[in-house]
Amino acid sequence: MAHIPDGVLSAPVLLAGAAVSLAGCAYGLRQLAAERIPQVALMSAALFVAALVHFPVGPSSVHLILNGLAGILLGWAAFPALLVALLLQAVLFGFGGLIVLGVSVMNMALPAVLCRALFVVMSRSGNRRRTMIAAGLAGGVGVMLTALLVSLALALSGQEFAAVAKLVVFAHIPVAVIESIFTAAVIGLLLRVKPEVLGFTSTEVRDE
Amino acid sequence: MSNHALRLVILAVGLLVISEPAWSHKLKVFAAAEGTHLVGYAYFSPSGRPRQAAVTVTDADGNVLATATTDDEGRFEVEAKRRVDHHITVGGGDGHVATYTIKADELPDHLPPSPPTSLPPAGEGSKPSPIATVSPALPTSEADWRTFIDQSIARQIRPLREQLDAYQEKIWWHDVLGGIGYILGLGGLAFGLSERRRWMDASPSAVAGRNRS
Repeated sequence: MAHIPDGVLSAPVLLAGAAVSLAGCAYGLRQLAAERIPQVALMSAALFVAALVHFPVGPSSVHLILNGLAGILLGWAAFPALLVALLLQAVLFGFGGLIVLGVSVMNMALPAVLCRALFVVMSRSGNRRRTMIAAGLAGGVGVMLTALLVSLALALSGQEFAAVAKLVVFAHIPVAVIESIFTAAVIGLLLRVKPEVLGFTSTEVRDE
Repeated sequence: MSNHALRLVILAVGLLVISEPAWSHKLKVFAAAEGTHLVGYAYFSPSGRPRQAAVTVTDADGNVLATATTDDEGRFEVEAKRRVDHHITVGGGDGHVATYTIKADELPDHLPPSPPTSLPPAGEGSKPSPIATVSPALPTSEADWRTFIDQSIARQIRPLREQLDAYQEKIWWHDVLGGIGYILGLGGLAFGLSERRRWMDASPSAVAGRNRS
């Protein structure tokens, strides 16, 4: 559902999406340190595979997005990671069109960057439980913001916003719940085994 | 002594090279039911046909139903007497074996089902197929002919469709793996390029020196 096929969106929306995604990718790559490239590649592969996991919801089917997790781990580098993952999904599996790629990347990467900000603010204390709650929140918020952006893109292209938004947003509630739990679990695991990935030194993580 | 060893190595390599085609080829069988005849051929992948290879046809329990040998083109033909699964095994006699199964559904309805005809039909334990026991009345009207032909074609192409489905499933997994490979490769390339840039920035003279040599 987060993948929009070609021919649905209007030209201004396509251009805006492409511009935002291009800028985001450029910025993400510019501030990406070489030693973090393998991490970005692994996350990109995870994003690529996540979208292949479909669940039936009502008449439609939805899939994992994992953009909240990508945002927490990658920050602005979520833009290039999502670009690569979505490009391959479009080419190999026909998920979404190639022309709408810019819009799709924007729809998933902008929430990712926002999730990163949310996570950083909420987890500053290094408290383990607070950090995991922040991760769960980021995982859910990432999905719901993406659903909202998809609805918005469709609405700006002439579809009626309320009807579309209701459909897209409701369909993504189960995804948001699943990703919320999944993201919290992944971050909890990382806190335990590799806190430096999240920007903590191991002494900073506290249980209380 | 080392001379001997060298000769042995050359001999071994030579033997390997000569015998290599024998195991780089894979024997495959394709067969289809044409009425009550099972017609097919065996072939080596990528090329070649086995001559005078033994063809054995067995049922699901391993009972031999028929035997044949391939002609010079690798072709064979056996007759099906019962409407059961036919497992066609072609053995080249040199360790190559390939099998192909023709399902009972692909065979005509009028063949007797599972138990051999020589056995009394009473007391059979296997599931009798209701379709097979009804002798097929030949269609009379044009509409009947149409349905008759449609049914036959549907029966013939079903295995193909099943095969296509299985193939698509396989391709899907290949695409998933391929996509992951692309992403990791791209990551590696990006990492290599950025490392090289950093290295060149750090010591341009070292790079120039290496290029000259």
